[in-house]
Amino acid sequence: MNRIQWLFYHLLRLSLALVFVYAGAVKIQDAVAFASHVAAYQVLPYAMNYLVAATLPYVEFLAGVLLLLNVRVRPALVVIGSMTMIFMAALVSVLLRGLDIDCGCFDPAGGQDVSAGMALLRDVGLMVLVVLTWWLRSVLMAGSAQRET
Amino acid sequence: MTDDLKRIFLEACVLIAFGALFGLTVNHQLVLDAFAGRLVPQRPEVNADQVLQQDIPLALPMPVLLDEVQQLVTDGGLVVDARTPELFAAGHIEGAVSLPLADIDESLPGFIARIDKDRVVVTYCSGFGCPDSFDLGMRLIEEGYSDVRVFEGGYPEWRDAGLAIAEENQ
Repeated sequence: MNRIQWLFYHLLRLSLALVFVYAGAVKIQDAVAFASHVAAYQVLPYAMNYLVAATLPYVEFLAGVLLLLNVRVRPALVVIGSMTMIFMAALVSVLLRGLDIDCGCFDPAGGQDVSAGMALLRDVGLMVLVVLTWWLRSVLMAGSAQRET
Repeated sequence: MTDDLKRIFLEACVLIAFGALFGLTVNHQLVLDAFAGRLVPQRPEVNADQVLQQDIPLALPMPVLLDEVQQLVTDGGLVVDARTPELFAAGHIEGAVSLPLADIDESLPGFIARIDKDRVVVTYCSGFGCPDSFDLGMRLIEEGYSDVRVFEGGYPEWRDAGLAIAEENQ
């Protein structure tokens, strides 16, 4: 791995980490408001919206912290990538049903209305970052293994 | 390579389980309330003096979905529009009554005189990002309404679903 790849890897890792630490932290502060955003997607039974709102932000936050600390990076990327794909499926479903909702991705208490279309584009960008970070991490680990042998 | 991937996925599962467990520990009361159908969760640990001194609400209006609003209306619930009288006149949920948050002090006494405090009340405004329905719900709870819920999808979601709307003042 050359220096540019090394720098690029840490830049991507830290970017993803900050996005998910922030996304998790703001939702943790207002679980009820986040539950109402989850409910707006109209894909889960009533009580399940609260279960998701109670747990998902902590998973996001924890995965972000692991990326920030550069610890268990690939498991954290699997979690973040899986969650992003689930968000994307939910957003596609919202678009197909013509629902006019705020995605609730970052600010469940209001103030940042982001349409489902915009949120979907953002999630595509996040998935690209996840894949690139995974690839660079693999290159970094392969380089380390070669040096050891 | 396969073993490596297995380990990564196993660690990812542990990460999810740990995060979810932590979230459930912190929010267990909210989840229990939701699954038990206690839509306006009381906070027994907060007494009335604390509420007055620290401005802590006794309860929160709980969000409801579109189909739940329809069911509540069928069961005798009252839908309350928190938007301005002009927006109400331009279009509102059929059967809703206007209680603009901006004029709440003037209009609330009349509302209290007409509407029983045991009746289920569902507040709404202009959809997500509009805090008036929640604020109105909080005010109604403070005034003694026992079952207040918030339809956060509001007028846009109701209208876009093709449900009955009215355009005249009621």
